[in-house]
Amino acid sequence: MSKSRHLLSGTDKMNSGINLQGSFIDFFQGLGLPYGTVKLLWLPLPMLLLLLGATVGVLVVVWLERKISAAAQQRIGPEYAGPLGVLQPVADGLKLLVKEDIIPANSDPVLFTLGPMIVVIPVFLSYLIVPFGQNLVLTNIGTGVFLWIALSSVAPIGLLMSGYSSNNKYSLLGGLRAAAQSLSYEVPLALAVLAVVMMSNSLSTIDIIEQQSGYGIFGWNIWRQPVGFLIFWIAALAECERLPFDLPEAEEELVAGYQTEYAGMKFALFYLGSYVNLVLSALLVAVLYLGGWDFPIPIDPILQLLGIDSNVPWVQLITASLGITMTLLKAYFLVFLAILIRWTVPRVRIDQLLDLGWKFLLPIALVNLLLTAGLKLAFPVAFGG
Amino acid sequence: MDVPSLSTQLNPLVILPELIVLTALVVVVVCDLIVGRTASRWTPYVAVSGLLVSVVQLGFQWNNDHAIAFLGGFNGDALSIVFRGIIALSAAVTILISIRYIEQSGTALSEFISILLAATLGGMFLSGADELVTIFIALETLSISSYLLTGYMKRDPRSNEAALKYLLIGASSSAIFLYGISLLYGLSGGATKLVDIGTALTLSTGLGDPSIGIVIALVFVIAGVAFKISAVPFHQWTPDVYEGSPTPVVAFLSVGSKAAGFALAIRLLVTAFPVVWEQWRFVFVALAILSMILGNVVALAQTSMKRLLAYSSIGQAGFVMLGLIAGTEQGYASMIFYLFIYLFMNLGGFTCVILFSLRTGTDQISEYAGLYQKDPLLTLGLSLCLLSLGGIPPMAGFFAKLYLFWVGWQAGLYGLVLLALVTSVISIYYYIRVIKMMVVKEPQEMSAAVLHYPVVQWNLPGMRPLQVSLISMVLITSLAGILSNPLLSLANASVSNTPLLQSFIKASTVSVSITDVDSHL
Amino acid sequence: MNLAQGVQVVSLGLLSLMVLGAALGVVLANNIVYSAFLLGGVFISISGLYILLNAGFVATAQILIYVGAVNVLILFAIMLVNKREDFAPISSAWIRKGVTGLVCIGLFALLSTMVLTTPWLIASIPASGEQATLLIGEHLFSDFLLPFELASVLLLIALIGAIILARRELIVNEPASGVDAGLMLPERPREGVAVGSDP
Repeated sequence: MSKSRHLLSGTDKMNSGINLQGSFIDFFQGLGLPYGTVKLLWLPLPMLLLLLGATVGVLVVVWLERKISAAAQQRIGPEYAGPLGVLQPVADGLKLLVKEDIIPANSDPVLFTLGPMIVVIPVFLSYLIVPFGQNLVLTNIGTGVFLWIALSSVAPIGLLMSGYSSNNKYSLLGGLRAAAQSLSYEVPLALAVLAVVMMSNSLSTIDIIEQQSGYGIFGWNIWRQPVGFLIFWIAALAECERLPFDLPEAEEELVAGYQTEYAGMKFALFYLGSYVNLVLSALLVAVLYLGGWDFPIPIDPILQLLGIDSNVPWVQLITASLGITMTLLKAYFLVFLAILIRWTVPRVRIDQLLDLGWKFLLPIALVNLLLTAGLKLAFPVAFGG
Repeated sequence: MDVPSLSTQLNPLVILPELIVLTALVVVVVCDLIVGRTASRWTPYVAVSGLLVSVVQLGFQWNNDHAIAFLGGFNGDALSIVFRGIIALSAAVTILISIRYIEQSGTALSEFISILLAATLGGMFLSGADELVTIFIALETLSISSYLLTGYMKRDPRSNEAALKYLLIGASSSAIFLYGISLLYGLSGGATKLVDIGTALTLSTGLGDPSIGIVIALVFVIAGVAFKISAVPFHQWTPDVYEGSPTPVVAFLSVGSKAAGFALAIRLLVTAFPVVWEQWRFVFVALAILSMILGNVVALAQTSMKRLLAYSSIGQAGFVMLGLIAGTEQGYASMIFYLFIYLFMNLGGFTCVILFSLRTGTDQISEYAGLYQKDPLLTLGLSLCLLSLGGIPPMAGFFAKLYLFWVGWQAGLYGLVLLALVTSVISIYYYIRVIKMMVVKEPQEMSAAVLHYPVVQWNLPGMRPLQVSLISMVLITSLAGILSNPLLSLANASVSNTPLLQSFIKASTVSVSITDVDSHL
Repeated sequence: MNLAQGVQVVSLGLLSLMVLGAALGVVLANNIVYSAFLLGGVFISISGLYILLNAGFVATAQILIYVGAVNVLILFAIMLVNKREDFAPISSAWIRKGVTGLVCIGLFALLSTMVLTTPWLIASIPASGEQATLLIGEHLFSDFLLPFELASVLLLIALIGAIILARRELIVNEPASGVDAGLMLPERPREGVAVGSDP
């Protein structure tokens, strides 16, 4: 990605917000270090930030899942580890870290080890394109959401790998189911995204959000793409293998699907991957349909009304933190919905799942795409000319 | 660019014949979906009429001055019109002869017809494609539909085997072809239009020897084309595929698919490779010699009628290559004329083979023994078509062969023409052997299949179109030779109306005369 | 050489090694499942090469189509028919392998000489970079419109063909009308309903 601009790199846009990379490089160059060295110092920071951010996000989601599940079942949930049990996910993680790593007999140790990695790596990579503000994105590459769709299609290979290598029929069936499910739901998912892309004339996530901003909550894509939003959300749940689509690991049928033979850190990778993926999907729903970092009330007119220059550092700081907060709030609201769905909706059967994907979502997604194209031609003002 | 000016630039009316075929295809698919199985009573006729209307439409475009469409991606010149006509006609006849066959084998008719129409569409686009991407997609449309057609009888293991072999060999030949055209893309500095590639190659070569890259690209491209026209040594798939696939499919493969291959060969070699003209001529001389010898000699030993026709079609492809090698105006005209005649006689032959296998369930040559006593019409038709394939006067095949050989002789290909004459004599032997089997045998020598030959009934469903195609093909085969003037003038006009051939012939004759002068000096 | 160039050279070397290693693995691995997984590795490495060439869209499409669809389908097919069959060892198989190896090495030598000696024309158009997606779209709707539309016919017919090959048909052992059972083609009829006959 030699061409891609890195985190917070200064763009020439007017509303540029804060530029962390620029300030960082300026600061160290001021100390007398050459440009190349400073750049080298900078490079690992965004990567670390990505790993940390995604992992912390997962810890929060795991805690939420436990608490909300408990609430849905009128239990209390974790409460001893830290206040309100917030440290429970950390304890879980530590437990998995120190557990014995078992490789089952007659399995294929290489593939068995590689499987979870291949599942997890693309999910983390996809965080590259999630924007938290005008410049708060790891890379604003031109292919944006398309990259996410492509990367999410790699995971089934890892699932098939772990299913095959476990030497267990439940694992194999689970892996095959996962691959079939992922293939089937990728199509309506991509078509729903395509409708959004068509309106914003760009694959870049930044452009997609900018196209929604300016009118507050009324500018968000969910009003223009209600069907697309539903298709995307259903398909995203299926891609994350969340209930009601958790067939690959349906415990009543397949013990735990492709995870059956896994323990310790490898299991933790699957666990981590599925939650990272859930957060990622929620973030992307927020980006594509809920205006991303956009505040429900347009901020720029208010600033103008108050006569404040939006390029003043403290204003930039406030808008940036507001953007991050808004993105996370929207995403966690969607995560909350997903958890609620988990405890309220029964699991579908495998044939129902495939029927829903191919015979219902796919035609509807196509019609949605066609309608969007028609509306774009008819009302270029509202649907992005 | 606004829409009206874009549409004038695209000039989409040039592909109107293809659009008609496409409409027929969509009608067949959608109507079969909506109406259900009963739709297959009339969908074949929709398809046939679509193809015929498309042929008529091709006729209207004969003197089209604006033949270049899609910004140079498609060239609807007279050459392409003739080949598109041959392909559409062969598909129409194939549908006529397949109705009863498909019905009797208990498979779905509408799907068969839609795949066949898609293959036709691919072949028609291939005949006019003037740009690498279009060529490749059209080629793949033709190929993939052919694989599907070959494996259409999926409960018949022979059909499965044929389809798998065809798919594997075809995929590797496509890959080689693709490698070749990717080299062309690089050699020409990123051009995909054949004309631009030709110019770039000429410029980069200058007066020196062509670079090794051009030669390798040429060899790879010819490998892909030779696979389609099943020239030896790229013929290995032909006998097995012909034997295993449904007979109507074989009829289409041996005529329509082969014609598309020849159209591709002419356009690609003439437009993109004028620089290495002598090299590709040399390669085709080798291909023609091998095809004529191997096709006709191995055909002698065949016991299955379909295999016999497979090897005979390899030999026939060798004859057709004579015209390409000659490289003169008459050379191309004789190729087109031969392909026209070959269309009628080969499809006539296949009609008879299908009829026989429908009535007896076999296509072994020995089972034809004594057929004359039971079914004179079939015997007559098959004999006439085989005689014509062998080139016996006064059948049409004789005149077509005569023209080809004469052209070859004129162009100075004495050895090649002599070889062609010898191999045609060999071919006459194996064609006559079948006829002898049918006609000369005494009643007591009749084969079991003929002994139990059913009463000839033409009023069964799906038999009428077979009868129509049998009689019309046999009539044309026997009369087109004597009344060949319209076809001949059509073939000649198609060559003289095609700018790319004209300029190439001019250039190549000039270069030949220069080399002649050089050698004299 | 600055940082960016260094990174590019190192990545090019690594990716080329990955492509070659994985491709050799695909051909040489005895276990077909390994071959299939390594094929995915080849595709991913090639996508990395595209990224080095600044062709981001093509790289992404490569991952989506080849890794996400083609390779998963291949794996799917292998795992659904994973019949463990012991092949009888062919006597003197090493001769075949040797000959194949020689042919391949010869071909490789020929092609590499060709690549090195041929005067390639380098396109004068500047690289489009981030605009590539837009340019590809414009091409697809102007000079490559015909192949683009023809591809839809190709895909439609491939879809129909796949369904025909895969669908289960009702087999009724009843000859089509007007034909004796003894005179049938080797294929069995699907149903008793005939073209043109009364249902």
